[in-house]
Amino acid sequence: MRLVGRLLLRWEALLVVLIFAAGVWSTTLSPFFLHRANLLDLTTPYAYLGIMAFGLTFVVVAGEIDISVASTMTVSAVSFAQLWHAGVNVWLASLVGLLIAAGLGLVNGVLIAILNLPSLAVTLGTLAAYRGLAYVILGGNARSGFPTSFTNIGGGYIHNELPYALLVLIGTAIVLGVVLHSTRFGRYLYTIGANREASRFSGVPDTRVRVSIFVLSGLTAGVAGIVYLGYFGSVQADAASGSELITVVTAVVLGGVDIFGGAGTMVGVFLALILVAELRNGMQLANVGGAAQDIVVGGLLLGAILAGNVVRAAQERGLPWWRARRPQKEVEKTESHAQISVNPGSETTQGGFTR
Amino acid sequence: MTAGMLTGRMRVSTDTIFRLRELGIFAALMFCLLFFGVKANNFLTVTNWQDIGTDVAIVAAVAVGETMVVLTRNIDLSVGSIIGLTAYISSNTLQHHHHASLVVIALLAMGVGLLCGLGNGILVALGRIPAIIATLATLAIYRGILFEITNGQNVLASNLPQNFLNLSSRNFAGIPSLAWMAIVVAAFGAALLRWVPWARDFYAIGSNPDAARFTGIPVARRLVAAFMLSGLLAGLGGFMFAARFAGVDATSANGYEFLIVTAVVIGGVNVFGGSGTVLGAMLGAVLVATINDGFTLMRFSQFWQEFFQGAAIVVAVTVDAIMFRKLQDVLRRRRRPELANVGGRR
Amino acid sequence: MSDAPALVELRGISKSYGGVHALKDVSFAIRKASVHALVGENGAGKSTIVKTLTGVIHADEGQIVIDGEAASIPDPPAAYRLGILAMYQEPTVFQDLTVAENVFAGRHPRTRAGTVDWSTIRRRAKQLLGELGADFGPDRPVRGLGVADRQLLEIAKALSSEARLLIMDEPTAALSPPEVERLFDIVRGLKERGVSIVFISHRLEEVEAISDTVTILRDGTHVATRPTAGLPRSEMVQLMVGRSLDQLFPKEEAEIGDVVLRAEGLGRRGVFADVSFEIRRGEIVGLAGFVGAGRTEVARALFGIDRLDAGKVSIDGRGFRPRSPRKALRRGLAYLPEDRLTQGLIQPLSISTNTSLAVLPELTPLGFLRPRAERALARRFMEQLRIRAFGPSQVVRSLSGGNQQKVVLSKWLAAEPRILILDEPTHGVDVGTKADVHRTISHLAAQGLSILLISSELPEILGMSDRVLVMREGRLVAEIGRADATQERVVAAAAGIAEAA
Repeated sequence: MRLVGRLLLRWEALLVVLIFAAGVWSTTLSPFFLHRANLLDLTTPYAYLGIMAFGLTFVVVAGEIDISVASTMTVSAVSFAQLWHAGVNVWLASLVGLLIAAGLGLVNGVLIAILNLPSLAVTLGTLAAYRGLAYVILGGNARSGFPTSFTNIGGGYIHNELPYALLVLIGTAIVLGVVLHSTRFGRYLYTIGANREASRFSGVPDTRVRVSIFVLSGLTAGVAGIVYLGYFGSVQADAASGSELITVVTAVVLGGVDIFGGAGTMVGVFLALILVAELRNGMQLANVGGAAQDIVVGGLLLGAILAGNVVRAAQERGLPWWRARRPQKEVEKTESHAQISVNPGSETTQGGFTR
Repeated sequence: MTAGMLTGRMRVSTDTIFRLRELGIFAALMFCLLFFGVKANNFLTVTNWQDIGTDVAIVAAVAVGETMVVLTRNIDLSVGSIIGLTAYISSNTLQHHHHASLVVIALLAMGVGLLCGLGNGILVALGRIPAIIATLATLAIYRGILFEITNGQNVLASNLPQNFLNLSSRNFAGIPSLAWMAIVVAAFGAALLRWVPWARDFYAIGSNPDAARFTGIPVARRLVAAFMLSGLLAGLGGFMFAARFAGVDATSANGYEFLIVTAVVIGGVNVFGGSGTVLGAMLGAVLVATINDGFTLMRFSQFWQEFFQGAAIVVAVTVDAIMFRKLQDVLRRRRRPELANVGGRR
Repeated sequence: MSDAPALVELRGISKSYGGVHALKDVSFAIRKASVHALVGENGAGKSTIVKTLTGVIHADEGQIVIDGEAASIPDPPAAYRLGILAMYQEPTVFQDLTVAENVFAGRHPRTRAGTVDWSTIRRRAKQLLGELGADFGPDRPVRGLGVADRQLLEIAKALSSEARLLIMDEPTAALSPPEVERLFDIVRGLKERGVSIVFISHRLEEVEAISDTVTILRDGTHVATRPTAGLPRSEMVQLMVGRSLDQLFPKEEAEIGDVVLRAEGLGRRGVFADVSFEIRRGEIVGLAGFVGAGRTEVARALFGIDRLDAGKVSIDGRGFRPRSPRKALRRGLAYLPEDRLTQGLIQPLSISTNTSLAVLPELTPLGFLRPRAERALARRFMEQLRIRAFGPSQVVRSLSGGNQQKVVLSKWLAAEPRILILDEPTHGVDVGTKADVHRTISHLAAQGLSILLISSELPEILGMSDRVLVMREGRLVAEIGRADATQERVVAAAAGIAEAA
């Protein structure tokens, strides 16, 4: 294990405990829960969300946010559907879909990393713009009837038991996890997220890296789109326009990724996804409606961030948690006022508080 | 070139930039009126504008509240859900109490909205959760609550008292009554921001949160107030929504938050906080509605509208940020005027 | 006037940061309605005193007495309520609001109805601005106002809040001569209104011109508080500087070779101009000067962090365009920022992560991390610089300040630079660590590294440098060889006065 070490380790352990607890709870609701088929299928309906969460993790670790992922996925899926409907080969069409997704991410990347616009505002705009784009491409139509070889990815099963989606989910987690934790690029994400200025001083190509994370986030949204199409078998322009986004964000934050950047693991996000899947599954068993489920997920998101704030305050030795600050911002003006910034108080912020 | 001359020239440019924003929207609005007036049938008719007026009214009223939040360098994405929730509560109550006073119902809606806003405010100001995440979560939570209390049912227009339904079709002096409501709200909002001391603090907080704290402004308290205002007006918007659309169900006002944020951002309320006016937000709402309507009448695809809205947010943010940056650049040159003319090399 | 009653008195104030004394038993009194200058080299403790008075930090020992009563100042708003206000080089203002609003932000005068009383605000602001001789009106937006004007704004703000003690930290640093004159008139006017002013400046001629009393600090201790009238500048300099020089460490002899870096006519708009110098192989060139002289700015521009508007740089005879830190590193140029702990380190990450950061591309040829190699690298430097930690995986945040400094140094040394710019390398470091750092620097030069040493500690500059460059107000004003360099000479050049005998 690495980095912030002990602290994160505790968080993932907590997640494992929660997963077990949720499992126990689910079993009391229905003995079928523990059947192998059910367990294996647990994450299938949420696999596409998980994949998006993995991509989003890159962005959040680097200290940014991308709320346009759901819309990006939709555009990608819808483009694919239209192309295929027009007769294009299904694999070629999906490739184009992926390229489009990456391109949409690139737009975000350029605006945020090169023009230095705040990621909150930009991705808020692209969230809406891409949603609109989906409507422009598909109109009010729905597309379905994709070839089984394609839909198997998201909806097929090996031996009627092991979902391909689970394999894709695990595969994505492993690949992205390796990139995040074992490559230089991944390392840069952590340093940029923790302290962008110090990273730049040390020669980290922060602009290039920050453009890349948005491209990556877009690309994974494209992959998620493929899984979505496989699982649901059809697509409309309003796909993933509901609580999906918040589930993705929750998976990331609940997974221990610091919303302010610089910390988090792919394992944590994976575990968080399982936990969320379990909870939703359990709630369904308990006959809790979809809406109430959304309330729970929303509450989880808030709770996870609050917990993060408390932990950070504990790190700073006993400060009450609403006084907790990010370490590098505690700079006191040094004798030689090395600040060249003209507006000391006007740093751009992530949708709310000056960090 | 003396330092004084430099200052003089620069003073002109920053002043004009300041006014340019609102003038710009107004100019865009005029352009649209001309453009659509020529290109689209029935655009410049009274009926058309009465229709637009009612729809804009809802967005405009809520945009006033959203302005308060954005001024403090935050955002409230839960307004759409609050509108839906309060719309349902309004119509449902009326459904069962036909003779209830409309004023009381409106107050009920605003009260619920206020509570929702309070929740947002506490999460952001005390919980220190970034506003975008907090209100994204409450967007889901409030919408979920709405789903729960509707229980799959919806309110039918036929069950609502006539006086309520008439709200959206009555006109006073040619202007729809709901539009009048929005105008009154805007007037109150503008007055609040201009005359009420604690509301004035919103600008300071958005402009420089640290300096605001240093000056002794109780930032947390103000933020909660801002979110409560946003919720309150979203509640009123819900009441208006119910009057306009009569048939309210759990998906009502889904996605409305974008209309509102677009109106506010286009209207010149800076996402960095600290500047912007209610007038601007109103103009923004009108502009958005005008373009939507114009496109509809021109038989343009409905579907371009959402795309346009999102693109407009991005463009507005980009323009504002570039202006910001240009000004900072100018400021740098002022640090040591005697060294201001260094460098032929770019 | 030495018999005027004391407004604020500091008694026995001490403050240390992790074993390093920023202030030690400092006591002096600031009289009512007087201009009290605070003078001393960088690091003498001036800003610590300001922070203590404004409630930003708390003293470890000692008392602050206001109007004869012991006072507690827990935070800046408390200082504000007590009437103590500080104005820094870069005034913090609300850019988006008008001038009048800035003056009264958060404290709007109200009408009887409780609403904002705009007419009063405008009237009072106009009145204050008029008294201060401002040439701008209350209704204009603050954005776009020059530094001098923003200062006026802050003073207007102070006046409107009935401040009794106004601390001005290097107020004239960014002002032109006529603006300085205007400021002085205002200061005299403030004095007449009964406001006390603490005036911190390196420009001793200004101190002489405007202040009634001078307090001189050195190394965190109080040296003297005397009426300005009886204190000639040369004596001020001696008091600021006079200390035994036995903290110096003998420099290793290094063979000085060819020119490695040549800078010609470097300039950055509004910050520095016409800076030219050379650095040779094995040489340690000291860069001295006061706060705001532009030394750090030159370094940042050389390293590619800020843009260079004019001038040419060449390394080893080949042209070099400082576009980014990455490019600079590739040409063998490294920069250790002054604010080491926040700009030089990534606190939540480990020693090995921090150490390897600048050389990661070289350490990871296939793009994959090699943790073992990183740890080995870290261990090598931990040994060489004697960094005390449990191991290379220890999080940097949990190290002591001195050890953190060493980690920063290791990061740059790992990059094997040929030219190293050190910005205040021992600022805030305890004596023991200082010795280690000095030894290392000297050793590096002996091995053929070229070093540009930016420092405000005269013994350090004099002890380590082969040549001393002195900057003042954005220009290079002196170049003094090792043999001729004395503390007085350097300070004189930095302050721009004729040398003391």
